[in-house]
Amino acid sequence: MVTQEDLAKTNIAMRYDLSPVRNVIGDLSGLLGTFCDELIGAFYPKNISKKANIVITELVNNAIRNSADGEGKMLLEIAINQDILRIQVTNPATMSQYEKVKGHIDRINSAGDLRALLAHTIRERRKDRLRGGLGLIRLAAENKFTLSAHYRAPYLVIDSEIGLGGLS
Amino acid sequence: MKVLAFGEIMDGGTSVFSSVAKVDGDLLIVSFGGSIRIDNPYRYLEQYLLDLEQLLPQEKVGRIEFDVKELDFCNSNGFYIIMDISEMIINTIPGPITVKRLKDDDWQQETLPILLNVDEPEISTRITFQEFAEV
Repeated sequence: MVTQEDLAKTNIAMRYDLSPVRNVIGDLSGLLGTFCDELIGAFYPKNISKKANIVITELVNNAIRNSADGEGKMLLEIAINQDILRIQVTNPATMSQYEKVKGHIDRINSAGDLRALLAHTIRERRKDRLRGGLGLIRLAAENKFTLSAHYRAPYLVIDSEIGLGGLS
Repeated sequence: MKVLAFGEIMDGGTSVFSSVAKVDGDLLIVSFGGSIRIDNPYRYLEQYLLDLEQLLPQEKVGRIEFDVKELDFCNSNGFYIIMDISEMIINTIPGPITVKRLKDDDWQQETLPILLNVDEPEISTRITFQEFAEV
Protein backbone atom coordinates (compact mmCIF):
# COMPACT_ATOMS: atom_id res chain seq x y z
CA MET A 1 0.00 0.00 0.00
CA VAL A 2 1.49 3.34 -1.08
CA THR A 3 0.66 6.08 1.40
CA GLN A 4 -0.02 9.68 0.42
CA GLU A 5 3.34 10.57 1.95
CA ASP A 6 5.15 7.94 -0.16
CA LEU A 7 3.31 9.01 -3.30
CA ALA A 8 4.50 12.60 -2.81
CA LYS A 9 8.08 11.30 -3.27
CA THR A 10 7.31 10.16 -6.82
CA ASN A 11 9.67 11.63 -9.37
CA ILE A 12 8.92 11.33 -13.09
CA ALA A 13 10.61 13.27 -15.88
CA MET A 14 10.04 12.91 -19.62
CA ARG A 15 11.27 15.03 -22.48
CA TYR A 16 10.37 14.72 -26.16
CA ASP A 17 12.30 16.81 -28.66
CA LEU A 18 10.71 16.47 -32.10
CA SER A 19 11.59 18.15 -35.37
CA PRO A 20 10.69 19.28 -37.93
CA VAL A 21 7.09 19.84 -36.88
CA ARG A 22 5.88 19.80 -40.50
CA ASN A 23 6.84 16.12 -40.77
CA VAL A 24 4.22 15.05 -38.24
CA ILE A 25 1.57 13.09 -40.15
CA GLY A 26 -0.02 10.91 -37.46
CA ASP A 27 -1.89 11.55 -34.25
CA LEU A 28 1.17 12.62 -32.28
CA SER A 29 -0.79 14.31 -29.49
CA GLY A 30 -2.89 11.18 -29.02
CA LEU A 31 0.18 8.96 -28.95
CA LEU A 32 2.01 11.11 -26.39
CA GLY A 33 -1.11 11.79 -24.30
CA THR A 34 -2.12 8.15 -24.12
CA PHE A 35 1.40 6.97 -23.31
CA CYS A 36 1.79 9.49 -20.49
CA ASP A 37 -1.68 8.61 -19.21
CA GLU A 38 -0.55 4.99 -18.91
CA LEU A 39 2.82 5.86 -17.39
CA ILE A 40 1.51 8.32 -14.80
CA GLY A 41 -1.34 5.87 -14.16
CA ALA A 42 1.29 3.37 -13.00
CA PHE A 43 1.84 5.65 -9.98
CA TYR A 44 -1.27 7.79 -9.59
CA PRO A 45 -5.03 7.22 -9.83
CA LYS A 46 -6.75 7.53 -13.19
CA ASN A 47 -8.25 10.95 -12.43
CA ILE A 48 -4.71 12.37 -12.33
CA SER A 49 -3.26 10.53 -15.32
CA LYS A 50 -6.29 11.59 -17.40
CA LYS A 51 -5.54 15.23 -16.59
CA ALA A 52 -2.07 14.80 -18.06
CA ASN A 53 -3.54 13.14 -21.15
CA ILE A 54 -5.90 16.05 -21.82
CA VAL A 55 -3.26 18.73 -21.24
CA ILE A 56 -0.70 16.99 -23.47
CA THR A 57 -3.28 16.43 -26.20
CA GLU A 58 -4.48 20.04 -26.24
CA LEU A 59 -1.03 21.68 -25.93
CA VAL A 60 0.70 19.43 -28.47
CA ASN A 61 -2.15 19.91 -30.94
CA ASN A 62 -1.89 23.68 -30.48
CA ALA A 63 1.88 23.54 -30.97
CA ILE A 64 1.64 21.50 -34.18
CA ARG A 65 -1.19 23.63 -35.60
CA ASN A 66 0.36 26.98 -34.72
CA SER A 67 4.07 26.46 -35.23
CA ALA A 68 5.13 29.50 -37.21
CA ASP A 69 7.96 27.67 -38.86
CA GLY A 70 7.25 24.08 -39.74
CA GLU A 71 10.97 23.50 -39.90
CA GLY A 72 11.37 24.07 -36.17
CA LYS A 73 11.17 21.72 -33.26
CA MET A 74 8.52 21.02 -30.70
CA LEU A 75 9.54 20.25 -27.18
CA LEU A 76 7.30 18.47 -24.66
CA GLU A 77 8.49 18.23 -21.07
CA ILE A 78 6.53 16.43 -18.38
CA ALA A 79 7.60 16.29 -14.77
CA ILE A 80 6.16 15.16 -11.49
CA ASN A 81 8.19 16.29 -8.51
CA GLN A 82 7.20 17.12 -4.94
CA ASP A 83 3.56 16.36 -5.80
CA ILE A 84 3.51 18.96 -8.60
CA LEU A 85 2.65 17.90 -12.16
CA ARG A 86 4.18 20.25 -14.68
CA ILE A 87 3.71 20.02 -18.44
CA GLN A 88 5.57 22.43 -20.70
CA VAL A 89 5.29 22.68 -24.48
CA THR A 90 7.66 24.75 -26.61
CA ASN A 91 7.18 25.51 -30.30
CA PRO A 92 8.35 28.09 -32.85
CA ALA A 93 6.17 31.19 -32.84
CA THR A 94 6.23 34.81 -33.91
CA MET A 95 6.05 37.60 -31.34
CA SER A 96 2.48 38.36 -32.43
CA GLN A 97 1.48 34.72 -31.92
CA TYR A 98 3.01 34.85 -28.45
CA GLU A 99 1.16 38.08 -27.62
CA LYS A 100 -2.13 36.53 -28.73
CA VAL A 101 -1.58 33.44 -26.55
CA LYS A 102 -0.36 35.56 -23.63
CA GLY A 103 -3.49 37.75 -23.88
CA HIS A 104 -5.66 34.64 -23.93
CA ILE A 105 -3.94 33.20 -20.84
CA ASP A 106 -4.12 36.56 -19.04
CA ARG A 107 -7.90 36.62 -19.64
CA ILE A 108 -8.18 33.07 -18.27
CA ASN A 109 -6.07 33.87 -15.21
CA SER A 110 -8.04 37.00 -14.41
CA ALA A 111 -11.45 35.39 -14.86
CA GLY A 112 -13.41 35.26 -11.63
CA ASP A 113 -15.56 32.36 -12.76
CA LEU A 114 -13.71 29.95 -15.04
CA ARG A 115 -16.72 27.72 -15.57
CA ALA A 116 -18.75 30.70 -16.76
CA LEU A 117 -15.90 31.72 -19.09
CA LEU A 118 -15.72 28.20 -20.54
CA ALA A 119 -19.50 28.03 -21.00
CA HIS A 120 -19.63 31.48 -22.62
CA THR A 121 -16.69 30.71 -24.93
CA ILE A 122 -18.12 27.36 -26.04
CA ARG A 123 -21.49 28.96 -26.87
CA GLU A 124 -19.99 31.94 -28.69
CA ARG A 125 -17.61 29.84 -30.78
CA ARG A 126 -20.30 27.28 -31.54
CA LYS A 127 -22.48 29.96 -33.16
CA ASP A 128 -19.83 30.48 -35.84
CA ARG A 129 -18.59 26.87 -35.80
CA LEU A 130 -15.12 28.15 -34.94
CA ARG A 131 -12.58 25.42 -34.43
CA GLY A 132 -9.97 25.60 -31.72
CA GLY A 133 -9.81 28.35 -29.12
CA LEU A 134 -11.21 26.21 -26.32
CA GLY A 135 -8.20 24.13 -25.34
CA LEU A 136 -6.48 26.54 -22.93
CA ILE A 137 -9.69 27.56 -21.14
CA ARG A 138 -10.55 23.92 -20.79
CA LEU A 139 -7.23 23.12 -19.13
CA ALA A 140 -7.85 25.77 -16.50
CA ALA A 141 -11.62 25.41 -16.01
CA GLU A 142 -12.01 21.68 -16.38
CA ASN A 143 -8.65 20.26 -15.34
CA LYS A 144 -7.69 23.00 -12.83
CA PHE A 145 -4.21 23.68 -14.24
CA THR A 146 -2.45 27.02 -13.76
CA LEU A 147 -1.23 28.35 -17.11
CA SER A 148 1.50 30.78 -18.11
CA ALA A 149 3.21 31.75 -21.38
CA HIS A 150 6.75 32.99 -22.05
CA TYR A 151 8.66 33.99 -25.18
CA ARG A 152 12.21 32.79 -25.67
CA ALA A 153 12.75 33.94 -29.25
CA PRO A 154 11.87 32.31 -31.53
CA TYR A 155 9.97 29.95 -29.25
CA LEU A 156 6.67 30.17 -27.41
CA VAL A 157 6.69 28.27 -24.13
CA ILE A 158 3.41 27.32 -22.48
CA ASP A 159 3.64 26.11 -18.91
CA SER A 160 0.88 24.25 -17.12
CA GLU A 161 1.03 23.17 -13.53
CA ILE A 162 -1.15 21.52 -10.92
CA GLY A 163 -0.60 20.40 -7.35
CA LEU A 164 -1.45 16.74 -6.90
CA GLY A 165 -1.80 16.80 -3.14
CA GLY A 166 -5.34 15.92 -2.21
CA LEU A 167 -6.29 14.76 -5.70
CA SER A 168 -5.28 11.12 -5.29
CA MET B 1 -35.00 -3.09 -27.55
CA LYS B 2 -34.15 -1.92 -31.05
CA VAL B 3 -31.19 -0.05 -32.44
CA LEU B 4 -32.31 3.19 -34.02
CA ALA B 5 -29.03 4.59 -35.33
CA PHE B 6 -25.29 4.07 -35.03
CA GLY B 7 -22.32 6.34 -35.64
CA GLU B 8 -18.60 5.78 -35.36
CA ILE B 9 -15.23 7.35 -35.99
CA MET B 10 -12.64 5.20 -37.69
CA ASP B 11 -8.92 5.82 -37.44
CA GLY B 12 -6.41 3.69 -39.27
CA GLY B 13 -9.07 1.06 -39.97
CA THR B 14 -10.08 0.77 -36.32
CA SER B 15 -13.19 2.09 -34.61
CA VAL B 16 -12.03 4.65 -32.02
CA PHE B 17 -15.41 6.14 -31.09
CA SER B 18 -18.97 4.93 -31.38
CA SER B 19 -22.42 6.09 -30.40
CA VAL B 20 -25.56 3.98 -30.47
CA ALA B 21 -29.16 5.15 -30.09
CA LYS B 22 -31.53 2.43 -28.89
CA VAL B 23 -35.22 2.42 -28.04
CA ASP B 24 -36.47 0.33 -25.12
CA GLY B 25 -40.19 0.88 -24.61
CA ASP B 26 -40.64 4.60 -23.98
CA LEU B 27 -36.93 5.09 -23.21
CA LEU B 28 -34.30 6.33 -25.67
CA ILE B 29 -30.82 5.19 -24.65
CA VAL B 30 -27.90 6.98 -26.31
CA SER B 31 -24.46 5.67 -25.39
CA PHE B 32 -21.08 7.15 -26.27
CA GLY B 33 -17.85 5.16 -26.09
CA GLY B 34 -14.19 5.47 -27.05
CA SER B 35 -12.26 8.64 -27.80
CA ILE B 36 -12.87 11.71 -29.95
CA ARG B 37 -9.40 12.91 -30.90
CA ILE B 38 -9.73 13.87 -34.53
CA ASP B 39 -9.94 17.44 -35.82
CA ASN B 40 -13.27 17.09 -37.63
CA PRO B 41 -15.62 14.53 -36.07
CA TYR B 42 -18.49 15.75 -38.31
CA ARG B 43 -16.83 14.00 -41.19
CA TYR B 44 -17.80 10.72 -39.54
CA LEU B 45 -20.82 11.58 -37.41
CA GLU B 46 -22.92 13.93 -39.55
CA GLN B 47 -24.91 11.06 -41.05
CA TYR B 48 -25.63 9.69 -37.56
CA LEU B 49 -27.02 13.07 -36.57
CA LEU B 50 -29.15 13.23 -39.73
CA ASP B 51 -30.44 9.68 -39.15
CA LEU B 52 -31.45 10.56 -35.61
CA GLU B 53 -33.18 13.74 -36.75
CA GLN B 54 -35.20 11.75 -39.26
CA LEU B 55 -36.00 8.67 -37.14
CA LEU B 56 -36.61 10.08 -33.64
CA PRO B 57 -39.91 11.90 -34.35
CA GLN B 58 -41.39 8.59 -35.51
CA GLU B 59 -40.70 6.90 -32.16
CA LYS B 60 -43.04 6.94 -29.15
CA VAL B 61 -40.38 7.72 -26.56
CA GLY B 62 -40.83 9.94 -23.53
CA ARG B 63 -37.59 9.52 -21.57
CA ILE B 64 -33.91 9.95 -22.46
CA GLU B 65 -30.81 8.29 -21.07
CA PHE B 66 -27.34 9.49 -22.09
CA ASP B 67 -24.60 7.06 -21.09
CA VAL B 68 -21.11 8.60 -21.34
CA LYS B 69 -19.32 6.28 -18.90
CA GLU B 70 -17.35 4.64 -21.71
CA LEU B 71 -16.37 7.91 -23.36
CA ASP B 72 -12.71 7.97 -22.40
CA PHE B 73 -11.66 11.18 -24.06
CA CYS B 74 -13.20 14.11 -25.93
CA ASN B 75 -11.02 16.83 -27.41
CA SER B 76 -12.37 20.34 -27.72
CA ASN B 77 -13.19 19.70 -31.40
CA GLY B 78 -15.60 17.00 -30.23
CA PHE B 79 -17.63 19.38 -28.07
CA TYR B 80 -19.88 20.68 -30.85
CA ILE B 81 -20.92 17.26 -32.15
CA ILE B 82 -21.82 16.13 -28.61
CA MET B 83 -23.83 19.36 -28.24
CA ASP B 84 -25.54 18.91 -31.61
CA ILE B 85 -26.55 15.31 -30.89
CA SER B 86 -27.74 15.93 -27.33
CA GLU B 87 -29.52 19.21 -28.14
CA MET B 88 -31.41 17.68 -31.05
CA ILE B 89 -32.55 14.75 -28.87
CA ILE B 90 -33.49 16.94 -25.90
CA ASN B 91 -35.51 19.27 -28.14
CA THR B 92 -37.28 16.36 -29.85
CA ILE B 93 -38.19 14.38 -26.72
CA PRO B 94 -39.69 16.60 -24.01
CA GLY B 95 -39.35 14.12 -21.10
CA PRO B 96 -36.95 13.50 -18.24
CA ILE B 97 -33.23 13.04 -18.96
CA THR B 98 -30.83 10.76 -17.09
CA VAL B 99 -27.08 11.10 -17.61
CA LYS B 100 -24.83 8.24 -16.55
CA ARG B 101 -21.28 9.47 -16.04
CA LEU B 102 -18.04 8.83 -14.13
CA LYS B 103 -17.65 10.63 -10.83
CA ASP B 104 -13.85 11.05 -11.13
CA ASP B 105 -13.64 12.25 -14.73
CA ASP B 106 -12.94 15.97 -15.10
CA TRP B 107 -14.57 16.43 -18.47
CA GLN B 108 -17.68 14.45 -17.59
CA GLN B 109 -18.05 16.39 -14.34
CA GLU B 110 -17.05 19.90 -15.42
CA THR B 111 -17.61 20.31 -19.15
CA LEU B 112 -20.34 17.82 -20.04
CA PRO B 113 -23.01 19.76 -18.07
CA ILE B 114 -22.10 22.85 -20.10
CA LEU B 115 -22.47 20.90 -23.35
CA LEU B 116 -25.88 19.64 -22.16
CA ASN B 117 -26.86 23.24 -21.39
CA VAL B 118 -27.85 22.54 -17.78
CA ASP B 119 -27.68 26.25 -16.99
CA GLU B 120 -31.01 26.59 -18.80
CA PRO B 121 -33.83 26.10 -16.26
CA GLU B 122 -35.87 24.19 -18.86
CA ILE B 123 -33.07 21.59 -19.02
CA SER B 124 -31.94 21.60 -15.38
CA THR B 125 -35.42 20.68 -14.17
CA ARG B 126 -35.49 17.66 -16.49
CA ILE B 127 -31.99 16.32 -15.96
CA THR B 128 -30.62 13.89 -13.35
CA PHE B 129 -26.98 12.80 -13.15
CA GLN B 130 -26.12 9.28 -12.00
CA GLU B 131 -22.52 8.96 -10.82
CA PHE B 132 -20.47 5.80 -11.37
CA ALA B 133 -17.00 4.71 -10.34
CA GLU B 134 -14.58 3.81 -13.14
CA VAL B 135 -14.08 0.06 -13.39
